[in-house]
Amino acid sequence: MRDDIAALLPRLRRFGRTLAHNREDADDLVQIAVERALTHSHQWQPGTRLDSWMFRMMQNAWIDESRARVRRQQTFVEEEAGEHVGVSTNDAQMDALAVRKAVSQLSDEQRAVVGLVLVEGLPYKEAADVLGIPVGTLTSRLARARDALQAILADPNGARP
Amino acid sequence: MTTWTDSSLMAFADGEMDTGQSTQLQAALMADNALQQRLVAITEQRARVAAAFAPVMDEPVPDRLSQLLRAPASAKPISHVIDWHAARAKKEPRGTEPTVSSVAPAASTWAQWGGMAASIVLGVLIGAQIKPPMDDPHLGLQGGKLVASGIIEKSLTTQLASESGSGTPVTVQLSFVDKRGQYCRTFSTAHMAGLACQEQGRWAVQHLAALDAAPHTDMRQASSALPRTLLDAVDQRIAGDALDANSERSARAQGWRR
Repeated sequence: MRDDIAALLPRLRRFGRTLAHNREDADDLVQIAVERALTHSHQWQPGTRLDSWMFRMMQNAWIDESRARVRRQQTFVEEEAGEHVGVSTNDAQMDALAVRKAVSQLSDEQRAVVGLVLVEGLPYKEAADVLGIPVGTLTSRLARARDALQAILADPNGARP
Repeated sequence: MTTWTDSSLMAFADGEMDTGQSTQLQAALMADNALQQRLVAITEQRARVAAAFAPVMDEPVPDRLSQLLRAPASAKPISHVIDWHAARAKKEPRGTEPTVSSVAPAASTWAQWGGMAASIVLGVLIGAQIKPPMDDPHLGLQGGKLVASGIIEKSLTTQLASESGSGTPVTVQLSFVDKRGQYCRTFSTAHMAGLACQEQGRWAVQHLAALDAAPHTDMRQASSALPRTLLDAVDQRIAGDALDANSERSARAQGWRR
């Protein structure tokens, strides 16, 4: 399982980035999920998707972290502008930056469905299981996320939907 | 003519539409430019979002993450492994590691060890209804001690609890390190369940309990539920947590020697 999780690390980091935006925060989520996976590996059901199980632990860790930060009245660190300074920015990179920023402006719930379905390509049923919600809830959340994303990208400086 | 909702188009774009509907939609798309444009907007957005996060896949994975998944002993999160190592250092009464070969111990090894047998509690037989162990070809007496042999020994040595399926004659449920620092495992067959711990390269049976064979179960198939008395025996001996799948795998790789 160690090897299987190691092979998943790039994807886990990518999912983390849809949730947390900031690289360090995203990797913290991956770290928490990997640690939990190693200590609770007996809880993983063979025959189910390991990636989904890991995504679920990351999502739960993110919810915990979000609540803790609200309690501490801390705000999340934005993706450092510096991460992209110095990189020759072509159109694709500019667009990627704009899209990631737009995703970061979605609600936590919307970011999770965007990450699972649009970025990680999970089937609706699988994504719904990860989030512990019915498929109908997932699809309506996804539709709202898509609309919100479209609105932000059309008018990046507009009021938040 | 069907009115295609946004959610239908999204389902199509996400590959979630059933074949019948998707055939209908494709037919409708041929004749409807506006519908095409709506669908293109959705698929483009999906591709754009995926592309925005794709570069993360090419980033080098930070060491702090990849290190978690290297050798079990160096991985911080498996704290009980570390505890066991510490525990072993403290509790190992002998100055040197036992040098039992990974092959089943030769008779001479066993004879050498025989002197220690008296100090080790003999396997406790629980339940008057249990068949005499000698009747069971899977257990044997060696040096005055009940040890696993045959298929039970083989299963304890090679089978991972995480891979233990149904339908096998012997099932292994739990692996752990006991307070003496030795590996122990629980097992069950169709009519008994037991706890065996490593002693000088053999699986010494510490506890045995009869199982009430349900009349309708296949007698050749191992039972999955462990009796309460056996679980209590585990609780008395266990140091830390049960091994997870990874620790179990590495324990097996080391021949269950510590």
